[in-house]
This record gives sequence, structure tokens and C-alpha cells, in this order.
Amino acid sequence: MDVSDILAAHQAKQKAVLVEKDIPLEVDAGFLTVTDLNPIDTESYEADLEEYLMSTARDGVQTLIASLFSLPTISTDDGPLAQLPPPTTQLPRAKPLPKPKPPTKWEQFAKAKGIQKKRRDKKVWNEEKQEWVDRWGWKGANKDKEVQWLTEVPANADVDFDPAKAARDERKARVAKNEKQRSANLARAAAAGSSSDDRKKTIDRTLAVTRTSTASLGKFDRKLDGEKPLKGVKRKFEPTETSASKEKSQNLAIISKLDKEPMAKKSKKSSDSSGDVLNVRKAIRSASKGKGSAALAREGASKGGKGKKGKR
Amino acid sequence: MLRTVKPKNARSKRALQAREPKEVEDPRVAIFVKGTHAGEKVTAVMKELMALKRPHAISFSKKNAVRPFEDATSLEFWAQKNDASLFVVGQSTKKRPDGLTFVRMYDHRVLDMCEVGVEGWKSMADFKTPKATPGHKPLLHFASELFDTHPRFIQLKSMLMDFFNGEVIDAIHLAGLEHVISISLGPTPPSLNAAMSTLQATGAPNEDLLSLPKVHVRSYMIRLLASGTRVPRVELTPMGPSLDLTLRRHTDADPEMWKQAMKRPKLRKQDVEKGVGKKRKNLDVDEMGDLRGRIHVGKQDLGKLQTRKMKGLKPGREEAVGDDENEGESGRDSEGEDEGRSRKKRREV
Repeated sequence: MDVSDILAAHQAKQKAVLVEKDIPLEVDAGFLTVTDLNPIDTESYEADLEEYLMSTARDGVQTLIASLFSLPTISTDDGPLAQLPPPTTQLPRAKPLPKPKPPTKWEQFAKAKGIQKKRRDKKVWNEEKQEWVDRWGWKGANKDKEVQWLTEVPANADVDFDPAKAARDERKARVAKNEKQRSANLARAAAAGSSSDDRKKTIDRTLAVTRTSTASLGKFDRKLDGEKPLKGVKRKFEPTETSASKEKSQNLAIISKLDKEPMAKKSKKSSDSSGDVLNVRKAIRSASKGKGSAALAREGASKGGKGKKGKR
Repeated sequence: MLRTVKPKNARSKRALQAREPKEVEDPRVAIFVKGTHAGEKVTAVMKELMALKRPHAISFSKKNAVRPFEDATSLEFWAQKNDASLFVVGQSTKKRPDGLTFVRMYDHRVLDMCEVGVEGWKSMADFKTPKATPGHKPLLHFASELFDTHPRFIQLKSMLMDFFNGEVIDAIHLAGLEHVISISLGPTPPSLNAAMSTLQATGAPNEDLLSLPKVHVRSYMIRLLASGTRVPRVELTPMGPSLDLTLRRHTDADPEMWKQAMKRPKLRKQDVEKGVGKKRKNLDVDEMGDLRGRIHVGKQDLGKLQTRKMKGLKPGREEAVGDDENEGESGRDSEGEDEGRSRKKRREV
């Protein structure tokens, strides 16, 4: 049997899907990307641009498709899915990594003691009803004692002892305790997040504000023993002699600030079409010392009339 | 700055939770903004790019006085408001006609920017061919050696990959691969080839924008033909849009911010077990495609090692009278063991 023509046919088939390049193409199957690092062929680029671009793209895509089709697949209802490897190209993240949740007090304790977390079922088996009931919530198992029609009362109980109420109070106390622990965990996490220095600063600032928030700005308030007077803000001045480069950068910063208009002002200016440099209203106010244009006119008229005159 | 709100109901709480940072991120949402004057060409290009980016795209219909290279505050505000991390700003001025600026954000702050000018372009409608379904992932093809060497083109590649394909997925339906976006460069000018060697030495790229080759962005539909093998033969048909771009201004990422943005999550336990991120020891695939493992076979007992036989080392005739060679050997072994035992005993005593 001669298999040479079968082999030749197979080779021809292979040739149709194989791509030969000087530098092998880089395939990043995770991002469905192929990079062709071969230099651009100037002759064919200039001869027929579109044809050249399409042929390089075809070679690249053929290589990428070949690597994608050789990936392991899993079958789903919609058809086979190719399992992609993790991408090799590193792209920057859009947001920082999520911060891990601070552990609760119980979690810290469990970790120290090596206690494994056990998932508690939400349902429990009720023998009387012969069915699964919720552990808590509506018709929950934790309310069984409150709703049962007959309850055993201890012999030394008070006359007005209400077993249903006692069970309910106990349950409510448990809920309250849990809530208290939860809020304590939250507070602890918040305290751990912000440093003690920050916390001290905010407390000091709040105290300073409250001390000056009375009608007398704190002048006639009762002072506590050992209470220190409020510290004012100390003014700081730059040294008069600095290096030339520093002075230059400072001045340039001021100039760049002058150059840049704030957005709010810009929009106001564009709407205001007069384009006057002089603010007339403001000029009148300053010239008349706040008395208005009528007073200014009167004054001008009287000056023109008589000159110096005594007080009326 | 946006005020931080405490969610008042479950729905808004879920909406805020969806915006929180995740270990494996969602695809980047791109906002398309028109500058004070965009012009017909840039507007149309942005529309087509948006068609490719859909559904992760938001379009701002009004003009906005935004200059990303001078003042990025409004971009940062929009990024936070819309939970978007990519911007395409179209602006056409006399100095820089038909400009498109790609802006990438990290943590609602500008990470890096890259401006390109649109030289020539052809719309999707000009190609009378079937188009790709919106939402299908494109394949990406980059062609030029500069994408591996020149910092401007490395940035462009990273930016475009983030724009079109930046989502980490673990599986894909092969029948859904419909189109490819091919980004090729013009021939590398000899000045750049010579510059590359000096560039590595000095570390500062010369900013001669005219010397940079053109960027050709083409998109094609893929046709998979039966080839008789498992891998189909690929044929392409132009789909549009096709763009010819030139590089213009850019800003690189702040190194500190870039370092933050490139941080990877610690590998999960199941991934480590699967062998991701860790060297797989004692496993290899042979040429038949079977996974072969090497197991530990215990320590070799060197005492039983057959060394070179010499006459002088043979047991004496008087010790092994009438014995075979084999028996003699085993006898010697047991003797050695006895010796060892007795030595051990001595040590214990």
C-alpha cells in the first residue's frame, strides 16, 4: 500500500493552517492577543498597504486560533468552552487591591486556639412536626418555648412568673449581646484603621472648637484644674535667603496659579458679555465711602457750588 | 470630590458594593467625551470605537471644556461619578487637528495618557460586510517589533489592550470569536532603529514625533474554514472601522502609582494546588501528550552496590569452602550487617 499521497495530502492540509515566520509570534491566549515582532516589510507595505496589513493579520490570527483550539475544553449546555490560561501580559489595575477585613474578636480568639470554622445549618429537624424548620426567624426553632401551650414551671417560681415572657427576654438579651459585640468589633476595626495620632488630633480640634463656642468665646467659662490655655496658630515665615532654584520654583508656582483661571470664574466671564475691566458698582461704592451714587452726585454738586463751607 | 453616602436600602447598598475594588476586576468602562470642538471626523471615529467597546461604554453627548494634559480634575470627577476607568477625549484644534486622547485611570486618578491624531479613516458603513455582534470579545493582533522595544508603542499596546480586551476570563466559547482588531505600524524608520541602541544606553527617548511610524488600526471579521485538521483555516474580511493614527503627546504613569497599579493579588489556594504561579515539580508531558510523574523511590542502599570485582577482595578459600560465589556474597552481606549491629550495640552500651 502506498501512503505517500495520503501523507502529501495531510502535509498540504497542515500547510494551510501553519504559519512560518522568522521570529515566532508571541501569543497571549489569556487576553486573546498575538504580537508579531517581525519587522514590517517595506516593499509590500508600500506596494499594497491594505493587502499587506490583511495578510499579516491573517497570519497572526491563524497562530492565535491554533493555540486557542489546542486548549483543553469543558462541555456546557451552550457547547464546548476553551479553558484559557492566565494572561502573561501584565496590565495595570483600575482600582487598588481590596483590603482584607479586620478580624473580629472571636476570629482572633479562634485563630489563637486553632478552632476551625464550622458552618451551622440554617435548618434544624423538628421531631414533633417531622420536618425541617428554620433555626431562627419566622416560626424559628428559637421561639419554641415562647409559643408552646404548656410549660413546666419551677416549684419556687413567683406567683406572677410568666414562662413565655422569661424565654422571650432571654432571647432578646442574646440578640442585644450579639449586637453589642458586633458594634464593638466595628469600633475596634475603625480604631485600628486610623492611627492614634490622628484620633488625638481630631479630639483636640473638637475640644478647641467647643471651648470657644460660647457667647463670650470661652472668656468667662469655668476653668478646670490643670486646664491649659488654648494654643493659637503660630505663624511661620520662610527664610529670607533661599537657594536660587527654590526661589525660582516658588515664583513659577505663583505665576502658573495666576495663569490658570478657576472653572467657576471662566463660566461667569463667558456669560458676561460686556467685558468691562472696571467694576462700576464697586468703584462707586469705594468713591462714595459706601453711601451710594446719589450721595456722590450730591457731594459733587455742593463742591461745585460754594467751595468751603462750615458745618450746617 | 464626591460625598460618601451611607446606603439607606439594600438596593443602593448592592450598587455601592458593586463599585468596591475586587480581586478580579470587571472590564474597564470607557467614557467618550467630546472636547470644545471635536469635528465631524473625530465624532464619527468615537462613535465607531464606541460600537466596538459596547456595552462597556458611556457616551457624553454634550461638549465639555476639558484639556486632559493641562487639567485632569473633571476627568477624575467623571471617573468617580460613573465608575469608569478609561476615557476617550476627542478634540480638534488648529495646532492638533483631529486628536483622540486615551486616558487610563487608577483609583479614580489619572494613570497615563496617550494622544493620537486621526489621519485617515474609513467607517464601518463603507464596508458592505457583516459586522460583529456587540459584546463579543475581539481578538487582538499587534504587528511590529516596536511594540516590544519603544516605550511609546509599549504604552500604546498596553492602552489598547486595556481598551479592547483588558478583562481576565477563564474560559471562552470558540464559536463566539467573530472579529479581530489588528494594530500594525508603518515600517520602522532607520533613525529609530539606530536610536534604539542609544536609547537603551541613555534611557531617555528622543521626542521626535515625526520619526515615529504611523499606526494602522484595522478590524476584520474572521471566517473559519474546515482544513481537515482540528485547527481551522482562517480567512479575514475587512469589517471597519479602519484608522490611520499618528502618535502625539503622552504622559507616562507616575512610577509610584504604576507600582501600586501593578500589584497582583496573592494566589488563591486552589490555584496554587492547580499549579498556577508555582513551578510544577516532577511532572512533565511526553510526546504522546500524556502527563508523566516521577515518584520517590526510596534511598538506594549503597552497601549493596556491585562494585568492581577483584580477586583480592574475594572471601578466602578457607572461609567459604564448597560455597558458591553468590552464597559467598550473601554471606559477606550478612556478615557486614552483623558487624553493623554489633557496632550499634557497642554504641548503645
